[in-house]
Amino acid sequence: MSIRLEQVTKNYGNVQGISNISLEIESGITGILGPNGAGKSTTMKIILGLSRPSRGIVRVDGNDPFTDWKLKRKFGFVPEYDCFYEHMSGLDYVAYFLRMHDVDKEEAEKIARKALSELGLDEAMERKINTYSRGMRQKTKVARATVFDPDILIMDEPFQGADPTTRGILMKKMAEWAEKGKTILISSHILHDVQSMTDNIMLINNGKMLAYGDRHEIRKLMDNIPRPISIVPLKKGNLRNLAKRMLDEKWTKSTTIDEDNNELTVETDQSEEVYMELPRILRNEKISVQRIYSEDDSLDSLYEKLVEGAQWK
Amino acid sequence: MEMNNFGDEIIMFAKRTKNLFPPIVKDCTYRLLVNKMTWVLIVILLLPCLFGIVIYNELGDEREYEMQDGDKVYLFPDDNGNLVPLHIDLRENFVNQSDLFNISFVAIILAILFSSELINEEYTQKTMQLLRTTPIHSFEILLYRYIAGVLCMFGILGIYSIIFYLTTMMGSGQHGIIENLDVLLLILKVLLLESIAFMGIFCVFTIYFNRPFLIGIAYWIIWESIVSGQNYQKLTVTHYLNSILFDSTKEMSWDVVASDYSLVNSKNDIIATEPLTAVLIIVIIAIITLILGTRGLSNRQF
Repeated sequence: MSIRLEQVTKNYGNVQGISNISLEIESGITGILGPNGAGKSTTMKIILGLSRPSRGIVRVDGNDPFTDWKLKRKFGFVPEYDCFYEHMSGLDYVAYFLRMHDVDKEEAEKIARKALSELGLDEAMERKINTYSRGMRQKTKVARATVFDPDILIMDEPFQGADPTTRGILMKKMAEWAEKGKTILISSHILHDVQSMTDNIMLINNGKMLAYGDRHEIRKLMDNIPRPISIVPLKKGNLRNLAKRMLDEKWTKSTTIDEDNNELTVETDQSEEVYMELPRILRNEKISVQRIYSEDDSLDSLYEKLVEGAQWK
Repeated sequence: MEMNNFGDEIIMFAKRTKNLFPPIVKDCTYRLLVNKMTWVLIVILLLPCLFGIVIYNELGDEREYEMQDGDKVYLFPDDNGNLVPLHIDLRENFVNQSDLFNISFVAIILAILFSSELINEEYTQKTMQLLRTTPIHSFEILLYRYIAGVLCMFGILGIYSIIFYLTTMMGSGQHGIIENLDVLLLILKVLLLESIAFMGIFCVFTIYFNRPFLIGIAYWIIWESIVSGQNYQKLTVTHYLNSILFDSTKEMSWDVVASDYSLVNSKNDIIATEPLTAVLIIVIIAIITLILGTRGLSNRQF
């Protein structure tokens, strides 16, 4: 089940929602990341057919999601906001949407009961939604979106308001669905959660797609941005010597000493070379280290560089 | 080929009705009936019924009566002092008060309120967005809400009319109540047609405009109240409802003229529409509003 966007632009009057986005999303989990107002929700709404692009083409399984209402059978949508019939019980609510999928009453109730139970809502499912906690609401939204086994799951901030247990349950479920070959699109502010689920990301800011693909590959492409590599020597006294020695190398852009944490950080734009050369340098200088690491291709770092740094293109 | 596709779609919609219609209508009906404003309007509607009870008490046992085929027929003196059956006077009160000045305005407010609850509220609560991500056609989204609205509107107005009929006519005794059931049926017929037409119109307002309540009131005052008494009144729903009322009361041998129902133009020519044509036009108006509404829902972006 593929999702294809070709040069998609969406304007709201004079305000640009998203601009010239092209991508193809295949099965598995894809994380959409970006600050508030970046265009994540707009992108999701366009894929869901809730909004029509001002320019460009959107195709889901080869069809236009805005006009093809039968295509919606394949979609499961977890919105960021609450959208309940508050007077209904969780069970009635999930069953109601199953009926919209043309499932008969008894079957709908049976399937809804099972889905809510799997998400840990056995006790609460017959209570009215207006008595639910945020976590319960989140689980109900997920149950509603997934209960008819959709091929495409679009989840806008699915972990928002969820307690750690709920978050754990949801992440486990998503991993299961991804394994079944579903296409899952997730937006989240909690980068760590996305990082633990997928390496496949789309970074978006100010309506423009900054990067799309495997986050490690994306980082490799960003050669012109210095990468920090941190070295923690066994002895604190070695910090300054090591910093001086590193500055002799042409690939060192700068060094920073953190006395408190006994850590030297080398900024380089040739990280591969640093990793090759560093053992030799340390051996020659007779410096033993307890740790060498770079958090640079973590999602946080990537996000910071791409979204907050305008230098990369 | 296109006709075939259209036919297939209709068959498919019909087949899906058993799964879509009951939950949607049940939910919509519940929402309409628990709405506080609905009950405020019901109380307003019931006030004339209290008035009927007061009149009945005032008449008390001063009524004269005669026995006809074992039935007690209550009488009252007309302008010439002749005794005539009381139910003839009371039924005119019933029709006049059920006519467009009394019940119609409340009916309009009900229609605006219901269409707003059924559609606008779903936009506000964002449940409409969810519905648009489920495999249900915009026509189905609108049609079942419309039906729920018509059922509730007609149900409330119909029950009110029955109560109002009983409280108005009880002064004329059992004979008067039974004798004039055709009048009650006429009012129920007009209310059903009114519900069918106005629910559709106000659903369209709710879908296309951000302030449906204001637009609805303006439409009622400018279009249905002012234009309906003028030369171009055939462009209003009220004209067709009046035509049905006029024709039916005439059929019942009442002493009515077209101008009683404003069915004359500036030259004083009668411009009443045939009742069957009037019913057809009202049904066509409802169908057009559903088509327009479906279009509006389909094109609405979030």
